[in-house]
Amino acid sequence: MIRTGAILLGVATVAAVLFLLLVPRWHWPVRGVQVSLQGPSMVQFAPTPQDLTATNLIPAALPPAPAVGPKAGALYQNVQVLKDASVPQFVRLMVTMTTWVAPKEGCGFCHEAGNFASDQKPQKRIARLMIRMTRHINAAWKSHVDANAQVGVTCYTCHRGQPVPSDVYYPSPPHPQQPFIEKQDDWNEDEVSTLGFFPRDSWGEYVLQDAPALTQSGTALPTGQVTARIVTKRVYEFMIQLSNALGVNCGFCHNSRAFGDWSQSTPYRWIAYYGIRMARDLNRNFIVPAAHILPQERIIPGAPRMPMVPQRNEGPQAGNALVICGTCHHGVPLPLLGVNMVHDYPELLGPDSDAGVPSPFPPLPTN
Amino acid sequence: MARFYSLYTSPVLRGPDEPGVPLTGEGNEFDRIGTPVHSLWAGRFGETQFFPTYLGRTGLASLFCGFIAIEIIGLNFFASVDWSPIRFIKMLPFLRLDPPPPKYGLWVFPPLAEGGWWLMAGFFLTASILLWWARMYRRARALGMGTHVPWAFASAIWLYLVLGFIRPLIIGCWCEGVPFGIIPHLNWTATFSVRYGNLYYDPFHMLSIVFLYGSTLLFAMHGGTILAVARFGGERETHEITDRGTAAERAALFWRWTMGFNATFESVHRWIYWFAILTTLTGGIGILLTGTVVDNWYLWGVKHGLAPSYPQPAGIPVLPPPQVLHDMQLRGTTPGGATPGFFLPGGSPR
Repeated sequence: MIRTGAILLGVATVAAVLFLLLVPRWHWPVRGVQVSLQGPSMVQFAPTPQDLTATNLIPAALPPAPAVGPKAGALYQNVQVLKDASVPQFVRLMVTMTTWVAPKEGCGFCHEAGNFASDQKPQKRIARLMIRMTRHINAAWKSHVDANAQVGVTCYTCHRGQPVPSDVYYPSPPHPQQPFIEKQDDWNEDEVSTLGFFPRDSWGEYVLQDAPALTQSGTALPTGQVTARIVTKRVYEFMIQLSNALGVNCGFCHNSRAFGDWSQSTPYRWIAYYGIRMARDLNRNFIVPAAHILPQERIIPGAPRMPMVPQRNEGPQAGNALVICGTCHHGVPLPLLGVNMVHDYPELLGPDSDAGVPSPFPPLPTN
Repeated sequence: MARFYSLYTSPVLRGPDEPGVPLTGEGNEFDRIGTPVHSLWAGRFGETQFFPTYLGRTGLASLFCGFIAIEIIGLNFFASVDWSPIRFIKMLPFLRLDPPPPKYGLWVFPPLAEGGWWLMAGFFLTASILLWWARMYRRARALGMGTHVPWAFASAIWLYLVLGFIRPLIIGCWCEGVPFGIIPHLNWTATFSVRYGNLYYDPFHMLSIVFLYGSTLLFAMHGGTILAVARFGGERETHEITDRGTAAERAALFWRWTMGFNATFESVHRWIYWFAILTTLTGGIGILLTGTVVDNWYLWGVKHGLAPSYPQPAGIPVLPPPQVLHDMQLRGTTPGGATPGFFLPGGSPR
């Protein structure tokens, strides 16, 4: 007797197993390190090494340039930020920046041929702003970039050889409101797995705005102070973004039995806290104010990213990108695996010419 | 090879059409509908015969309300992807229909785009479920059975009503209800637990899990036992309850010899029945207490010695650095009155 049912079942089972093994992108082996005592059982899962080395190695540095001779600001025209660097330092940084940001396009990406002093190209004006921003980060945000280890940032931390960093957040264009239908979440469809496939409407609430983020009560019993559940949802989605950007799970910062409790959180949570404030500072004081220089038109192809509503997101779009956690981190807790790259480029360490620059945003309401 | 056939082994019984006993007594408005259809594949899982079935007034009304509810949800999903079939299929697990935002409270006529559809879908779904319950109850009565099955179903309805109706009513806001949608309702569950300080410290949540896992354990034990004595006629459970034969004796002895105690062919069904009922009954109580009586289950657990404290790992102070504290106070939060390490969520717009 031929038992077709059993054969079909066997074939289906083998097909299902093969599908599960081959189709999803598996990260094996998963290595876990327990970072607490037995009770809380806080385990950190490290990303697998092969994912890290490919995307997070630093490029070789040119030989150091002497800090002697005339200053760049004295020799060249229209040097505004790096004027205290020596001429060899200045030239070395310019050459290196080209390889960091525009290796294909070369000097002409920012500079006008024949007149390097000209600010005609918007890229040049943005580049100057970004150098100021880099020095601002290294000088004013040591609480984040030098908190766990002396890491600092360079142009390469974000750019990785591309004029526009790969992991930035374009706030979704406003959905034309249909009269009777609720607006759907803006799901992050760029992600390859469900770990990152979460709505991202809330990202701007924290990297640009200063939305309330406290969700859990400080008391066991109700006190009459109520937080809307939407706040928890926003924080949850933003934290997923943070978690993916660093390639860590919740337990890296939190004790999951009491997410809100600072006394049970690891010190990484404070570094992350400053990181969120840093991203907010950069977006408010550098990225958004540069909107009049940055190209406000971008083209989103229909594939592979298939947006929520095709008519809405494909084709030309307005608006510029925002810095998020992944812009620097690229999947690891310490960007570029913690190599102190900026050590080779002391011109980028400061001073912070932006100290005391007023925010273009009105002061936060206090209550 | 000689094989012993019983109801649980290979042969599929294919008898003549079984029309059922004539309908008599109160509460039978209509005749049964449908002509019998036999399926060999259905016989692998149950009886081979489909139909006739009985719809009645409550059944028809229930199907009608259920259809409207599914239609409202489905068309909302479809409209929100601008009627693109490909997008509808791709995004189906992620599409949602949310309850009204907090500003509408318990107002029952919010704008359609802001939870109006949710209220309507919820109303019709609830009506459909309750009508189906009434139908089950009346069919059980019509057959002269006990009403155990409807009451077990009522326990599940209790949890459903607590989540979507009773608890929002007590808190005074539809916004506390569960959104419709596959992933959205799962994310709701996760954020609900986080918002109320970790539901694992809710004792009724614990009980619900005990009964849920207990149900599956009892189910496996009972199902396994009966299948194991099917060769002795053990599937004739109702006989064996009073007129014990070798199947009942062996099944009982198996458990007595394995764990010193055994249920009877009758009592094991009470065990399973009550474990299943108590799963959703205690679960509903746990949800009902959340946010109404207890605002942070973890701190409640600490207060009552439920959550153990562990020695701090070296190098972690109790409070954040002064600068973090300062920054958070600027947002309108005060540590006063709150458990150290937690902060009262002040200044959050409702």
